[in-house]
Amino acid sequence: MTQTSDAIEARTASQTTIVLDGTEVPFCDGETLYEISRRHRKEVPTLCYDDRLDAFGACRLCVVEVDGFRNPVASCTTKATPGMVVRSTSETLERHRKTLMELVVSENTGGSARNGNIDVDPLRGLKSQELSNLATRYEVDGTRFAGATSGKSRQDDGNPFILRDYDKCISCYRCVRVCAEREGDYAISVMNRGFHTQITTEFDSKLEDSACTFCGQCVQTCPTGALADRKALRDAETPGELKKTRTVCPYCGVGCSVDMLSKGDKIVGIHPAMDGPANQGALCIKGQYAFDFIQHPDRLQTPMIRASNGQLVPATWDEALDRAAAGFLAANRDHGRHSIYAIASGRAPHESAYSVQKFIRAGFASNHVDNCSRA
Amino acid sequence: MRTPNEPAPLLPLLHAYHDRDGMLTDDALREISATLKIPLADLYGTVTFYHFFAREPGGRDAPRVCDGPICKLKGCDGMLDALAAEGAKPMPCAGRCDEPIPVLRGGEVLTGLSVDDLRVRPTPLPPAYPGDDEECVFAHIREPGRATLDGYRANGGYTALESALRDASPGAVIETIEASGLAGRGGAGFPTGRKWRAVADAAGSPKTIVCNADEGEPGCFKDRAIMDYDPHAIIEGMVLAGFATGAERGFIYLRYEYPKTLEILERAIAEAESAGMLGDDIAGTDTEFRLYVRRGAGAYICGEETSLLNSLEGKHPFPRNRPPFPVTHGFEDLPTAVNNVETLASVAPILRNGAEWYRGLGRGEHAGTKLISLSGDIQRPGNYEVPIGLPLRTLLDDWAGGPQPGRSIQAVTMAGLSGGFLGGEDLDATLDEPSLRGKGSFLGAGGIMVFDDTRDMLEVAHGAMRFFAHESCGKCFPCRIGTQRLTERLARDAGPAALDAWREEVADIGATMKATSACGLGMAAPLITESLLRYFPDAVRAHFGD
Repeated sequence: MTQTSDAIEARTASQTTIVLDGTEVPFCDGETLYEISRRHRKEVPTLCYDDRLDAFGACRLCVVEVDGFRNPVASCTTKATPGMVVRSTSETLERHRKTLMELVVSENTGGSARNGNIDVDPLRGLKSQELSNLATRYEVDGTRFAGATSGKSRQDDGNPFILRDYDKCISCYRCVRVCAEREGDYAISVMNRGFHTQITTEFDSKLEDSACTFCGQCVQTCPTGALADRKALRDAETPGELKKTRTVCPYCGVGCSVDMLSKGDKIVGIHPAMDGPANQGALCIKGQYAFDFIQHPDRLQTPMIRASNGQLVPATWDEALDRAAAGFLAANRDHGRHSIYAIASGRAPHESAYSVQKFIRAGFASNHVDNCSRA
Repeated sequence: MRTPNEPAPLLPLLHAYHDRDGMLTDDALREISATLKIPLADLYGTVTFYHFFAREPGGRDAPRVCDGPICKLKGCDGMLDALAAEGAKPMPCAGRCDEPIPVLRGGEVLTGLSVDDLRVRPTPLPPAYPGDDEECVFAHIREPGRATLDGYRANGGYTALESALRDASPGAVIETIEASGLAGRGGAGFPTGRKWRAVADAAGSPKTIVCNADEGEPGCFKDRAIMDYDPHAIIEGMVLAGFATGAERGFIYLRYEYPKTLEILERAIAEAESAGMLGDDIAGTDTEFRLYVRRGAGAYICGEETSLLNSLEGKHPFPRNRPPFPVTHGFEDLPTAVNNVETLASVAPILRNGAEWYRGLGRGEHAGTKLISLSGDIQRPGNYEVPIGLPLRTLLDDWAGGPQPGRSIQAVTMAGLSGGFLGGEDLDATLDEPSLRGKGSFLGAGGIMVFDDTRDMLEVAHGAMRFFAHESCGKCFPCRIGTQRLTERLARDAGPAALDAWREEVADIGATMKATSACGLGMAAPLITESLLRYFPDAVRAHFGD
């Protein structure tokens, strides 16, 4: 949750306490029982919660007991008040949580529960393991409460980015909410009601015919992998351990933090960094999906120089650099330093962008340098 | 079109296009989206939430046949078959359980027991008062012409409003309502005076009064009787509520299934406006109050007050998380009192006759009266105004004539369907919350459906759960999945083959729904299975062939 330092100060000033699992703990004005519980490392389960979004109160897994309340309350939507006596776990709560998990897994076993395990490829998305992790924790395999399943995958939506595998959907609406609250696209919504709810777009169209900008934030908040990263899934069968490398997206001046996913030497996908100070988990279509060029076979493998007949021919680095240096020196000598102007590519690494400006500024005493990412 | 400039414009705009085109076309949704600046995906999703908005040509005018619990007994399945060629579809209980089977066709409701018998019939008046006590809401409803301004004035109509505006303070009105013990008659039973005080004390304006006329609970048809025969009583109650709380605008949120009532309300509002009882300078004072009718489109959950507010605002009608409550954050996030039709209709008589008079209408320590919609296997179905605390047996046997000759009452529902069943010795309950809550049920909105000893209670329970599954909004997991799973289990479509395991599943689902659901729908639905197992264990065993 973002807040200005003023707000933090105001909160600190009005700090008071509740009793959480028998221990008196402080809280700040406006904090919910879920936030306090999590701060105190209580393992309160949830499926509809994303701390960047308004609390929604749908999955009811985060219910806690509060003295004076007849029923458990959803901790995500209940703000603490001084003196509250709260239990984050109890035999009754755990029984309700297990029943809720059995219900929700029974709803979407469409192909996902096998041999008692819900197997979701982590390449599907950043949060895609949440349901399967909780199913493991509560020892739930989808056999209890079996019945009709809900959600229908949109196999007709052939866009290259977002797999709409709604057979796995549990209708937590995190995708709809992130699209509205964070991205501001309002491209997706909820259709029908009850057990027949389904994530939809305007007129139930394909994403490309909707207001979707393919930022992928719906994919990355989905707790089941129902919305999945189609590009990353190309490498589902590629051998090798999945590795994450923190970096910053070079495409524009915002500076979104990303975790680049790789298997061996191959870049297979991008996860937005939830703790990225500039983006807090947000990305755009370029930052999320436009990385194929890095290891594309069409890229130049060796320097090329233009021969006297006008044809480009392969050359060694020494030959190419000598030719370029000669050109720069001639232009500088004949037309002055302002005849040279450099634009670095947004697809180049940050180190290259730094080198280009150094080259122009130090080499030619000029500020005629720019980067397409400045836009 | 004038509606975009009025408050709460989405529903009227949708209905205008729906009525014009016989459906909601893509173009209509695009135009509304652009006019009201509602994202198209949101608008599309919201339209699909409502039962009656048709997206296929001719859909609006295709017949809808009530398949509520009582119409099932009357043979609605045959009616559906007979109208199949016209594209007939079922609709959940349409609130005419004391009449033949209702069929909604275009803008009108016909009733009949067969296709040949279908015609427009007026809402039945409440039967002549059979009790020894005194009525409040129904005291004058049977007088001819009561629905007109003159008819209403003939028995003291609008005098409570006029004297309150002239001589009383808003605080005094609230004090009288508090002292009377009037509590929400839509089912929740929250003290009306306390609600009004909270709105009056809340910061922010404009404030709003909402009359909840969504009456979607199966087996309930009392609010329509008031609206059809005594509409000015509601208007007077709403203006008084506005005066007491400082609200200057009001909405009547009316269920789609009552098209004739819509006309009656609009006519009464026009009459009240021209008589100076609505608008600016009401009754020659500087009080102002504007009243709008908004027609729903078929969604039981919109009777839940926060869903209703979202529906009015043009949002997806999921219930809101509480707190904050509507009294501080209601319509457009501003202080709002949401009151049921019956509650509002009680206000003017209370102010005319005094708080003590109203308190005295109840039996024992219970204050006031409650309207009961009684239907099913009973000789004289209809709306009855009972003193709170009246024995259920008195209502069933003495007032309504008991079951058909040679039959006995096997079960009654309470709170429409939301209170589950009462049977056996618990039929000796009295009609008040302490007595009924002691039996695991509640009075709620006051619908009581009677099932005699010929009825298959498993089938009734299955129909009831199917209703809750159909009407579950889809937001919270326990209700969305639980109502579906309980419906399947009652139909034996899925679930354990062995009785013990079946019972355990049904009990576990029910317990978690009751404890963790986000609103009353999911908490109430498992009362059906709970009470079925409590009163009819033999019927359940027979279902399993034991």
